[in-house]
Amino acid sequence: MSLTSFPATLFDGTNPTAHPVRVDVLDRDLLVWSADATSAPALLRRGSFGEVRLSEPLAYAPRLVRWRDGTTLEVAATHEFTAALGQAGLPPTWVARLQRGWPFAIVALVLLIGLLVFAYMRGIPAAARWVAFALPPGVEQRIGAEVLGLLDEHQLAPSQLAAPRREEIAAQFAGAATRAAPDVAYRLEFRRTAKGNGINALALPGGTIVLLDGLAERADNTQLLGVLGHELGHVTRKHGMRNVVQAVSVGAIIGVIWGDFAGFGTNLPLVLGIMQNTRDFEREADDFAVALLRANDLSAQPLIDFFKIVVELEHKRGGSIVPDFLSSHPPTPERIERLKQFAN
Amino acid sequence: MTDLAEQERLSRELADGPLRDEMFPELVAQERAAKTERAPAQEASAPGYRLRFTGDGREYFRIWIVNLLLTLATLGIYSAWAKVRKTRYFWQNTRLEGHVFDYHGAPLSILRGRILAVVLFTAYSWAFDISRVAGLVTIGVLCMSGPWLFWKAQQFKFRNTSHRGVRFDFSGGVRDAYISLLPLLLIWAATAVSGVLLAEKGWLGLTVGLCWLALFPWMHQRLKNYQHGRARYGDQQARFQAATADFYWTYAKGVFVLLGALLAAIVIGAAFTAVFYVVVKDPQYLRRGGWIAGLAVAGAMYACLWPYFSARLQRIVWDKTQLGPLRFRTTMAPGVLFGLVVACVSWTTITLGLYWPFAAIRLARYRIESMEVLSNQPFDQIARGVIPSAAAAAGDSAADLFGLDIGL
Repeated sequence: MSLTSFPATLFDGTNPTAHPVRVDVLDRDLLVWSADATSAPALLRRGSFGEVRLSEPLAYAPRLVRWRDGTTLEVAATHEFTAALGQAGLPPTWVARLQRGWPFAIVALVLLIGLLVFAYMRGIPAAARWVAFALPPGVEQRIGAEVLGLLDEHQLAPSQLAAPRREEIAAQFAGAATRAAPDVAYRLEFRRTAKGNGINALALPGGTIVLLDGLAERADNTQLLGVLGHELGHVTRKHGMRNVVQAVSVGAIIGVIWGDFAGFGTNLPLVLGIMQNTRDFEREADDFAVALLRANDLSAQPLIDFFKIVVELEHKRGGSIVPDFLSSHPPTPERIERLKQFAN
Repeated sequence: MTDLAEQERLSRELADGPLRDEMFPELVAQERAAKTERAPAQEASAPGYRLRFTGDGREYFRIWIVNLLLTLATLGIYSAWAKVRKTRYFWQNTRLEGHVFDYHGAPLSILRGRILAVVLFTAYSWAFDISRVAGLVTIGVLCMSGPWLFWKAQQFKFRNTSHRGVRFDFSGGVRDAYISLLPLLLIWAATAVSGVLLAEKGWLGLTVGLCWLALFPWMHQRLKNYQHGRARYGDQQARFQAATADFYWTYAKGVFVLLGALLAAIVIGAAFTAVFYVVVKDPQYLRRGGWIAGLAVAGAMYACLWPYFSARLQRIVWDKTQLGPLRFRTTMAPGVLFGLVVACVSWTTITLGLYWPFAAIRLARYRIESMEVLSNQPFDQIARGVIPSAAAAAGDSAADLFGLDIGL
């Protein structure tokens, strides 16, 4: 049995009047005594540990004891009161205890960084893959259509390629794709860049492959098959949709961490969706391109030559926009090396 | 270690806290008299009681990091509990006349509110991808439910805050909410609908933009009127009298601050670009200069505008708010806040966010401690004969259904 007494203030929950009191911790009860200078102490209130709710002990704030009927007790000597309660068998909650010292804060920081690294390396890519394949195809197609609409509005123009040439490319690719992956649905669109003659091809969510005139003019038929095969690889693995989901997830996590800060006015221009696994996406797409060429009894060598030509061309132009099928990670020499192994 | 902390705590208590009032009653009385003298003439009769904030950056960092870890580990579910612990930390460290505030929000209510918010936001983001009809229906639903949600959020916020064991309350009705928010909703709906359906008509977008500009101060006044004019503490009703003209005047001055910030940012951006060009002689840097200028504009606008509006609006709002016999005064200065914001943003950026809890405490300390409550009566006698808060809390379960926090 312990008896410790603390000065405190009692509020009855109805009036804001502050009643100076003393509070005793007796067994598993709190006893609240009046502390008037004029009269003898009278027992105002008794509360068992089970019926009161206690605030967390904070370094510079009073400890608050709340009864269900709205009565509140403010105990200024937080530390002594908390110690007495602990001795009597009412320690602070485990979260509150952990938060009192630095060791756990540092552990929490390390765990947090670990969690973020895990989410970045494994969690988000896995979740994005699951979402991309679980999503109804209609949603993916609408997203792709919206992206294409935006591109058409701002960056792309209708193709100026002759219609027979377009049909030839489409027919040839359709044949090659059927031999390599008969059940993959895709749609081939022809465009040119509004400014300059961009050499590129892209795969959008929902299976749309966009081929730009600049590429169609510079590549021979086999090279075109390789590049389009690469894009079809993105389509089969739903890389576009996975990129979208990954970007959204990264944005959401940054929102949780920086939300307080951002909510308070700033909006940092964050580059979203820079994920480690886009490198794997490119490798997977390359592998698919090689498989497609092989299924059609073609070598990967023309594709390698074409990669080299485009790299030089882009280098000479000093352009900073890397074509999608050559996107800088993985570094192109490394990718060419990898393709060479397949080619032999 | 504990002794040191203990000593520090006691000295703090002595510096400002109940202990001080007990130990040096004469000194405290003298100070109050001095404060009264400093007050402007019309308030000379009402002594001022400055709010005190005892939050500590190191302590809050530990709470913040645990909140963050648990929130991410539970995919956001813990955020409701985190919100309660954070709000309690700030309220329980805010003192008026030696007594602290308290927060009673239930985490489960907040979680329900957040799930609802996520559902509405998701619906709004995707509805137009499904079809125009779905998009328009979603905008309609948001317009219809918006004021109701806002009303619930206000109720939740006030009813779950207490001082001296007495709860605050919000007496605004749901009808009031619809009337107060009507112009804001109309113009928002017009923006959303015209942005989607009539994107090609430039003049329409311009008209809507001008409407925003012309009406925003008025709408802001209506909103603050609804929020501050309907607050209650016990049986005391708040009144809010800021004139629309005050808001227009503040915003007009804000536009001048904005122009100044823009000019400064363009000069900074141009200077950087010129330096880069001279040093590297690469025309590419002229293009990158555009980015630098853009970032400088964003940074300057944030660093100048936020402190300016925050300080000015706190002043026009609180100077015109009355709660029963209480009046309020703020001494917040845009210049001081500006310095504070620049320091906080810089450190937070440099430390990749780790400084944020310290920044939050510094900003809260400045904002809270620049508030003064003017009262002729002792706080003991301000509110009388109110309903016991337990009864109020029981009648509250409907308000507690959704704990929404809308920061306006």
